[in-house]
Amino acid sequence: MDAVVSGIVLAGLYALVGQGLVLTFVTTRTLNFASGELLAVGGFLALGVGSWSWLPTPGKLAVVVLVGGALGAVVHRWLVLPFARGEHDSRWLLSTVGISYVLLNLFTNGEGANPQRVELTRNPGTVEVLGVGVNKQSLVIAVIAVVVTLALVAASRWTSGGVIMRAVAEDPRTVALMGISPRLVGAVAYAAATALAALAGVLWASEVGATPGLGVHVLVSAFAVAVIGGLTSFWGPLVGAVVFGVVVQVSAYELGALWGQVAGLALVIVVLVLRPEGLVGRRMEAKL
Amino acid sequence: MSPNPAPSLLDRLRRGEAARDLGFLVVLLAAAAWIAVPALSGDGTTLAGTQTAAVVVAVAVAAAGLNLLSGHARLISLGQGAFFAIGAYVSAYLSVDSALHPLVAIVVALVVTAAFGGLLALCTMRLRGPAFAMVTLVVAILTERVLAEWAPLGRLSGYPNTLDHGSGLMPPIEIFGTSLEPPLFAGTEATVVVAILVVAVVALVGYRNVARSPWGRSLHAIGTSEHLAAHLGVNVFGRKVAVMALASTYGALGGVFYAQVFAHLQPESFTMLLSITMILAVILGGAGTVAGPLVGAVIIVLLQRTDVLTPLVDLQRQVSDTWYLSTPGLIGVLLVLTLAFLPQGIVGGLGELAHRLPGRAAPAAAPAAAPQAAAASATASSPAPDGDDVLLAVRGVSKSFGGIKAVQAAELVVRRGTIHAVIGPNGAGKTTVANLVTGVYGIDSGEITFDGRRIDGRRTHAIVRAGVARTFQTPLLFTHASATENVLAGFPDTGRLPLVRAWLKDPGQYRRTRELQDRAAALLELVGLGGDGHVEAGSLPYGKQRALEIARALASDPRLLILDEPAAGLNTAETAELGRLMLTLRAQGLAMVVVEHHMDLVTQVSDEVTCMESGAVLAHGTAAEVLAEPAVVEAYLGVEMEETA
Repeated sequence: MDAVVSGIVLAGLYALVGQGLVLTFVTTRTLNFASGELLAVGGFLALGVGSWSWLPTPGKLAVVVLVGGALGAVVHRWLVLPFARGEHDSRWLLSTVGISYVLLNLFTNGEGANPQRVELTRNPGTVEVLGVGVNKQSLVIAVIAVVVTLALVAASRWTSGGVIMRAVAEDPRTVALMGISPRLVGAVAYAAATALAALAGVLWASEVGATPGLGVHVLVSAFAVAVIGGLTSFWGPLVGAVVFGVVVQVSAYELGALWGQVAGLALVIVVLVLRPEGLVGRRMEAKL
Repeated sequence: MSPNPAPSLLDRLRRGEAARDLGFLVVLLAAAAWIAVPALSGDGTTLAGTQTAAVVVAVAVAAAGLNLLSGHARLISLGQGAFFAIGAYVSAYLSVDSALHPLVAIVVALVVTAAFGGLLALCTMRLRGPAFAMVTLVVAILTERVLAEWAPLGRLSGYPNTLDHGSGLMPPIEIFGTSLEPPLFAGTEATVVVAILVVAVVALVGYRNVARSPWGRSLHAIGTSEHLAAHLGVNVFGRKVAVMALASTYGALGGVFYAQVFAHLQPESFTMLLSITMILAVILGGAGTVAGPLVGAVIIVLLQRTDVLTPLVDLQRQVSDTWYLSTPGLIGVLLVLTLAFLPQGIVGGLGELAHRLPGRAAPAAAPAAAPQAAAASATASSPAPDGDDVLLAVRGVSKSFGGIKAVQAAELVVRRGTIHAVIGPNGAGKTTVANLVTGVYGIDSGEITFDGRRIDGRRTHAIVRAGVARTFQTPLLFTHASATENVLAGFPDTGRLPLVRAWLKDPGQYRRTRELQDRAAALLELVGLGGDGHVEAGSLPYGKQRALEIARALASDPRLLILDEPAAGLNTAETAELGRLMLTLRAQGLAMVVVEHHMDLVTQVSDEVTCMESGAVLAHGTAAEVLAEPAVVEAYLGVEMEETA
């Protein structure tokens, strides 16, 4: 039971980052492989603004999220757009991998590999959930993940934004003829996705400390979550994260932390065999 | 065209193929000798150089395998380093802990890695999109973690280590009474390097054979369009699994080399960065070129293992001593710069340059030895002797996409050696019928038979192998390859040549290559592209691209050819030429389905016409009958229905 509850709570972090992956995938059919490092940048930004005593905490958080968003737009403009010309061009995948190594190396040289304590948004201690002591910070992240998911689902269902996002992915040229810029939609999606990653970075760094490698394992888990849940639905990351989190935590509890992660990979493979489009993704037979 | 007698020119071509293969082998052997001589001297000063050279060889072999997967078939793997690590650790573990003979351990390690790669591919290859890259990344990171944290592999103490095994080094392999010593100690001849070089040369020759064979061509087809590859008779899913297993084996072989060179493994050597290094070697050298990954591996390993990058780091540190990039970051920058400015890589870029150089004339097209005879043999599928003259029968077939009924109860019967035109306004479902016949989509109801056998429910490549070929509404060609190369892709070898034969390249393959070259030349001649064999397909005028597609379709020696709007975009002269070609092919016994809007062509060539509208058959008969039908005229000209109602 302990493992199940902690798995569900831990899922929030992966879902938050996974949501960013879905956001960029449904609009541009691309993903940011540097999301993990941008998450770590969020942690270091929190460290930087932490000393601005004149700014209240929500203001600091807003600064981090906005800077994260701006970085996302930059990544889209300079590392994704020039490398995603047409359906068969998947250079974006490698260009974002390349920049992730630049960031990782830059921060390792500049800040060192040891964790640095981040005070912004720190929630020490535990609370009881279903009779299990749960880390407060993880609970905060999980609540935010649920709120973000509900907001995205609501926005895609009840506003024109949802239609625009899907249309941009399916037929950018027609959308452009309708007076909507696919580039702008893509930039907004990347900004939002990276802002989410930066937010996750602040919250997670407040818990475990800021390190350059903070994001690597989070991104791997977020990838697993996105594949399990499906890259085409905003429910995907949340559903995928809960399943993944529980499987990883239960196996870690039984077999040790290392094999928990390996069990997570096995779960990804099982899902790909049984439901390649993900647990809540849509199976599409497109007319060519 | 010079009046050279054909045999001498063919002789020259023949020698050309073998000479090029020999040249590659000589270059590899020369490089191997250059590495081996200092290694065997046992001189302490050469140790570092020998180790670096051996790492270049290990990475080159792994990158070569990765190139088949990510360069040719364009399935981007971020996990080649993981397969390298698995090969290294499994071979070491089996020989040290399980006490298997080291050679047996190596073979088992290669098989295990191939199986693991194949299994991953089986699970991920059904999807298009980035799932494959994501899963390979997950595998790479997890492998890194397992190596660093799992006790039996020594964790951060490495494998083997003094605490668990009493020695930090694997014992050298004993073979035929000699022991294969690693390049670790001054005064000892580094004999293992020679063994590694021999195996590497064999592996790289095999890799080149595969890349240049019809098997390699099928990978290129998959990378261009899976839709096209399936229509060339390639079992796309099976081939993707096979190439992943092959690439994993090459990765593991590189890892085995690495383990033998250092006789000790540290998890830090097998991080995610190793995978990135390998994909960068492929891209920088030239993805999809034969020599690219080898050139790339040399450059990348030298950048990483020598101090050539040090001045660049020092320069940055003069500006800021905290915020600067060292080797991993500079590798990342190099990756992005290569993608932006040299997407074809060094070898690909040089090839392009050589192609554009005005001084170098394009190689003279081989005049077809006997175009008439060869052309006849190319399509010499005589009508079957049995009395049944129906070749293709589509009966009551329906297909919906979501709520849209694309095809409803369609009927289409094609008799042997006849041309059946399918006409109808845009959106009538004509191309969808073509796609249903070749198994692109499954049908919802009805049945399709070809030559008396049910083909609905079979996969595209199986239907193509049964004798159906087609062209596409918008030509699907290898735009960067020559016209001849495009036709060569159409031969059944692309889908059927077994990997082992492609790898070994037995003498039969040389003969077959010459035969296919001749037949390709004859087919080009037949469709009016006799002088264009060497021209890049993408630079041919549109009409010739369409003709090239027909030549490629004919290469499979089909019994039924489906032409999807072959006259679209052609001028009057080209259309007339197309009509003549179709009549020639019919005279040779080929049956055709032609989806067409061009009524002059339809009346000129067709034996039967079916008109479709909104997914249903509107009329059927001879061209004159169908075109006289009021409903057909209405469908085309949009006359109000009330008039006739």
